[in-house]
Amino acid sequence: MLEGLVSPESLSLSYADMSVPERLKWLQQHQQQEVLSLSSNDSPDLLQILQFHGSNNDELLQSTFSHFQMVGSGFGTNYNMGFGHSHEAMDGYISRTSSCQIHSPDTMGVMLKNSEENRAISLKNKRKSEVKTREEEKTEKKIKVEAETESNISNKEASSDTSKETSKGASQIQKLDYIHVRARRGEATDRHSLAERARREKISKKMKYLQDLVPGCNTVTGKAGVLDEIINYVQSLQRQVEFLSMKLAVINPELELGVEDLSVKQFQAYFTNFPVVIASKPSVMVDVPLFPLDQQGSLNLSVSNPNQTSIDAPSESWETQSQSLFASVLR
Amino acid sequence: MQPTSSMNEQFLKNWQMGLQIFRPSIDNTSVSERKRAIKLSADVAMASLRKGTTCWSRALIQKAATEDSFLVRQMLAGIKEETLINRKLPKIVCHRKIVRRSKKILMRRKSSSAMEEVTAKAKKLVKRKTKGLRNVVPGGEFMSNNVLLIQETLDYIVSLQTQVNVMRSIVDAAEAGVER
Repeated sequence: MLEGLVSPESLSLSYADMSVPERLKWLQQHQQQEVLSLSSNDSPDLLQILQFHGSNNDELLQSTFSHFQMVGSGFGTNYNMGFGHSHEAMDGYISRTSSCQIHSPDTMGVMLKNSEENRAISLKNKRKSEVKTREEEKTEKKIKVEAETESNISNKEASSDTSKETSKGASQIQKLDYIHVRARRGEATDRHSLAERARREKISKKMKYLQDLVPGCNTVTGKAGVLDEIINYVQSLQRQVEFLSMKLAVINPELELGVEDLSVKQFQAYFTNFPVVIASKPSVMVDVPLFPLDQQGSLNLSVSNPNQTSIDAPSESWETQSQSLFASVLR
Repeated sequence: MQPTSSMNEQFLKNWQMGLQIFRPSIDNTSVSERKRAIKLSADVAMASLRKGTTCWSRALIQKAATEDSFLVRQMLAGIKEETLINRKLPKIVCHRKIVRRSKKILMRRKSSSAMEEVTAKAKKLVKRKTKGLRNVVPGGEFMSNNVLLIQETLDYIVSLQTQVNVMRSIVDAAEAGVER
């Protein structure tokens, strides 16, 4: 369970002494170290880093958010990240008044249900090098979270947070029902466009996952091309299923899958060497689908088509290997 | 996310169970009937892995139930079969005439600059593709927004990959057994 805490107690004195540019430099120095450790560590380290730095640096926040996104991608849906932290109203120092909550995986189930209903928007900070330029327009929007469970948990975390937080300026422990989203420069800041923007970003994130999943999608740019590739891929997979079921019906009239004789271990070894299905383009697929090779040399079960004569030389070695395996498996 | 070995095993177990249900009535069946039974049981096995959490799995089970409800019922024994099979989701209906007329009026009002035309065409293309995707993914017509659609395609693709992998390995093993 992540409890986002920011306790700049260790820093408060030193912060006060340093002037703003010195502070920036100091933070940047540490940030580089921490970013490296961030990318390889788990969330407990993340907490330490946040506590240590007081999270007043844009780039650090950005890296933490990207880390959270990596963690959160396993959850698949939107999530609210949160750490309350002090609000400093310093001249020329960009203050952050963002607050949200990091939720445990227990609440993910609830949030999955509510994801369609509520307008909760995940926090995004996109500015990188504009920390130094002090002419940024800052706007904030409070968007009320409608889910009750979130506010309950947030209240619990808020009470634990407030005890540990020391504030320099006016420390606003935000009403944790609200999610603050920072608008980008030159963009509309009304509620609807922000919601739309968050929705669009969610969609583009999911499309990126799809691009990783579907082979051959990396070259195409733009939503339409990626969608096209996805459609082709799904259709080819469905056609493969049809073809394989027909083949199985022909080969195996008793519909005996023959698995009962096998030991579990052998079968597990069988499955772990599965290459990912790589489909060919529909135009190329004739009677028997032909799949490109996998990098794993040893057990290449994808291409084992005795009817195909085009790939002769490499297939021979596989077939001997695969047959030896099958012999052991089927015995 | 890649298909995991546990998914493969589960799918295989469910599929086997389905085929065993079918096996008693196997004597006079033709190739096409057998193929149909294989495919159906494979689809239901794949969908039951998700236990009704995803939209596509429910739609797939419903489709299979229209073809062979007995098999489906037996396969899903105990996992809320009735609700899965009999539920009908609200379909999104667009009256095309009305939509077209309103679009014409909108286009007339708008003064189109070059930039707007390009973006409008790009958006139309994307919309057409998403419609195509809805046709391919089972239950796509019932998914109300694009986020859900993309989530479902993600899950569906992974499940399809496990299905194809398992089926192909079985076919290969069967082939190798026949050859020897």
